[in-house]
Amino acid sequence: MPENAAHGRSGNGRGLLVSILVLIVLAPLGYYVVRGTAVALGGKPSVEFLERPATQDDRCIWNMEAGEMRLHHWEHLARIREDVVRFGKRDVPGLNECRNCHQSRANFCDRCHNQVSLTPDCFGCHYYPDNEHWDPQRFPER
Amino acid sequence: MALRLLTTSSAGAPGKDSPLAGKRMGMVIDVGKCQPDCDKCIKACQQENNVVQAAAHKNHELAVHWIRKVTIRKKIETDEKAKKAEAAQKSVILVCNHCDNPPCAQVCPVRATFKREDGIVLVDHHRCIGCRYCMIACPYNARYFNFEDVEVHEEDLNKDRPKRSHGVAESCTLCAHRLDAVDQDGNPSPRVPACVEACENGALAVGDMNDKTSTVYELLRDYAVKRLKEDLGTEPKVHYIGL
Repeated sequence: MPENAAHGRSGNGRGLLVSILVLIVLAPLGYYVVRGTAVALGGKPSVEFLERPATQDDRCIWNMEAGEMRLHHWEHLARIREDVVRFGKRDVPGLNECRNCHQSRANFCDRCHNQVSLTPDCFGCHYYPDNEHWDPQRFPER
Repeated sequence: MALRLLTTSSAGAPGKDSPLAGKRMGMVIDVGKCQPDCDKCIKACQQENNVVQAAAHKNHELAVHWIRKVTIRKKIETDEKAKKAEAAQKSVILVCNHCDNPPCAQVCPVRATFKREDGIVLVDHHRCIGCRYCMIACPYNARYFNFEDVEVHEEDLNKDRPKRSHGVAESCTLCAHRLDAVDQDGNPSPRVPACVEACENGALAVGDMNDKTSTVYELLRDYAVKRLKEDLGTEPKVHYIGL
């Protein structure tokens, strides 16, 4: 019919074309999905994004997997904060003890925070150096 | 990743296992032993707690004091009495009284100011909204507000302790972080507050009033003490000998 002729392909063929186009556009993202999953499951990333300290404090409770910390560290810090401020329980290491190994905020904390545009309020009061020990070659500011 | 509920304080809730259980922290100040020209306790508090010194503020009225020293003297009627009155003046150290009935904690709209299980009145700076109601409520003028962010030089900063930034109210914490301190194994190893440690004349004492072996218990047992504004019913826990 004359109206349908102006639309080009229609019906089943059109759906197939759209889905193929979407797959072609999204295919490059698949590389990052696979790479991210591999790192989250414990694989070694090809690029060093965060500084991993050589030493590990025995008392540090952060002997968890990297995935656990990356996903939940603020919850753990908040719980410790409540315990320290409200109940005086200081037997669990807090932000000060993180500094024993992760000595520079610029090499570690700020790397992820800057990437996701997050500015946590903590460092306005709690001392965490970002200029001292910063390694600009390995961890350039974005 | 299932929903992770933040379990606040399930481990630290008041109870018999709490490190603060059964304690009642108090302070005794011996006015007679306090030397008029000495300000070591004030400097020690500023250094320990990153209480910014008055000189760093452009406006002196905005300075924060966790511990203050005031001189009180009798009203001078005649010249002869004035000469005697010089000797009769006393230096009184003023800090937060950590009342048992704290008006600041009562009025705080967000419960940022609270009385801990061991009787120390603290401000949770993470929750403080800076309304300054506690400053109005405190009858001892012990509460101060951070009207501005003051730059502190790195060499003056105590890096193990936070400093307060603009927008929160604060007052003397009785160095709760020192009283709560634990060693590497998690066993309590308390230290005395910075002012008590700095006083060379032994005018200050802080401890658990329920502990019969503590200095404050012995001082309270042996000396007649006064507290400030006792008629208000705040039940302050800072006691003065020789006031």
